[in-house]
Amino acid sequence: MKVKVDIEKCHKSGECYYNHPELFKMGEQGYPIVVIEDFDDPKIRKHAEQAIEVCPALAISLE
Amino acid sequence: MADPLPDLGPELDPRVFDSVEFQRDPFPIYKQLRDHHPVYHDRFHNRWIISRYRDVDGAFQDNESYDRAIYKPDGPYEFGSRHVFGPNILEYGNSSEHRRLRNIVAGQFVGQKLTDFLPMIDQISSEVIERFVDDGEFEVVTQFSSQVPIRVISNMLGLPREDEDTFVEWYHLLIAGLGFGGDHMARGIQARNEMWDYIDPFIKQRTKNPGEDLLSRICVAEIDGSRMSVEEIKGFVALLLAAGGDTTDKAIANMWYHLLYTRPDQLQDVLDDPSLWENVFTEMMRYDPVVHAQFRHTTREIPMHGHVIHERAAVILYLGAGNRDERAFKDPDTFNIHRDDLHMGRENRSGRYKDGKNGHLGFGIGQHFCMGYAMARQESAIACTRLLQAVKHIRPKFTEHPGITAPSIDSGGFRAPEQLSVVFDR
Repeated sequence: MKVKVDIEKCHKSGECYYNHPELFKMGEQGYPIVVIEDFDDPKIRKHAEQAIEVCPALAISLE
Repeated sequence: MADPLPDLGPELDPRVFDSVEFQRDPFPIYKQLRDHHPVYHDRFHNRWIISRYRDVDGAFQDNESYDRAIYKPDGPYEFGSRHVFGPNILEYGNSSEHRRLRNIVAGQFVGQKLTDFLPMIDQISSEVIERFVDDGEFEVVTQFSSQVPIRVISNMLGLPREDEDTFVEWYHLLIAGLGFGGDHMARGIQARNEMWDYIDPFIKQRTKNPGEDLLSRICVAEIDGSRMSVEEIKGFVALLLAAGGDTTDKAIANMWYHLLYTRPDQLQDVLDDPSLWENVFTEMMRYDPVVHAQFRHTTREIPMHGHVIHERAAVILYLGAGNRDERAFKDPDTFNIHRDDLHMGRENRSGRYKDGKNGHLGFGIGQHFCMGYAMARQESAIACTRLLQAVKHIRPKFTEHPGITAPSIDSGGFRAPEQLSVVFDR
């Protein structure tokens, strides 16, 4: 599983990295950086799904 | 352009922070701090002060170095609000518990939930205005700015509309108790107890038969598999009243104060184009926000500007000073709703914007960013737009105003005028 952030869509709201620091961190200029590239853990998947839900820009997806 | 602030030089007596002058006009001291003491060790009050825009922003972002709460060796966090509010979310520093509690309600004040609620805000605003619209004058704080937000919160909680007046009354006593102490405190605690008794049956009922309202949501929310106790639920409700009611109340009052007394010429611009209320809100949040100071404790040593702040030190982040930093904003001491160097749109937690402009620090930044940010903005703009539709030629009743005299900035008190009388035509 991979989490993707579409930087074109991103508002830099910060919701992903403040709510899910285990998956994202704030990068240069306020855009998020995904810290776990690949994962199988269902727990992390749940966090990823929550991050998708809280993103106001609909910029996060799972692949 | 505003008159330049006096250059006070580097000499700073820390007792100034307890003075009435600082309470009324902190800005010359803020400038002195930024220019001469970007990290100030206040040995008199045993604390450190950070005042430049970049540094305040940086501290808000840095959860590894700063925590909001003090850990007591024997367990719970210490914060100042428990005596009036009961246990509440503000006591949970940077912990995961804080995040879970916050997430119970955070989604309720933004996005679709907020959009669904806008017609109610609109209706409540009209009802409040209806009460004084035939009088030719009103007092902004008691009759307008404090009325709308409390009625809105009471509605969101799902309390009966006929009890709103009582709720507003308790609110006034509670907030006075928090801000002024003494006799006010005794009355505040009495009001809180009456409110607790009132809300008790609602908590029982919503726990059994939850609805769509905010109170039901708080009653049935599960944190680590268990629900909040009745005491915790009550603390949460009191916090919503203060955080969601009092701040918006004072934001609206500050907007009006600055339009009427600081920039009356720009009031005309807003009359011509009501969409500018959002700019008034944003510039108020920069120029003179409701909250000027936030408190942190260091969790490690922090080297900054040639000083080292020690571990477990008390730190004040003067966001009110950061907002006036000439390193971040041109002409920072001029109130100007047409500013081109301030991000005028909706704020966010990261404080980074695609337009490349600096945002105000008035909601904080980062983990403890105000969760009511979108609602405060919309509510203020809607209420003020409705007001200008209902009355004509609104103007101050008195040419002189004592200015902003509310509680001391360092007490955590919210800054706003105590009264603001206006007259109008119909």
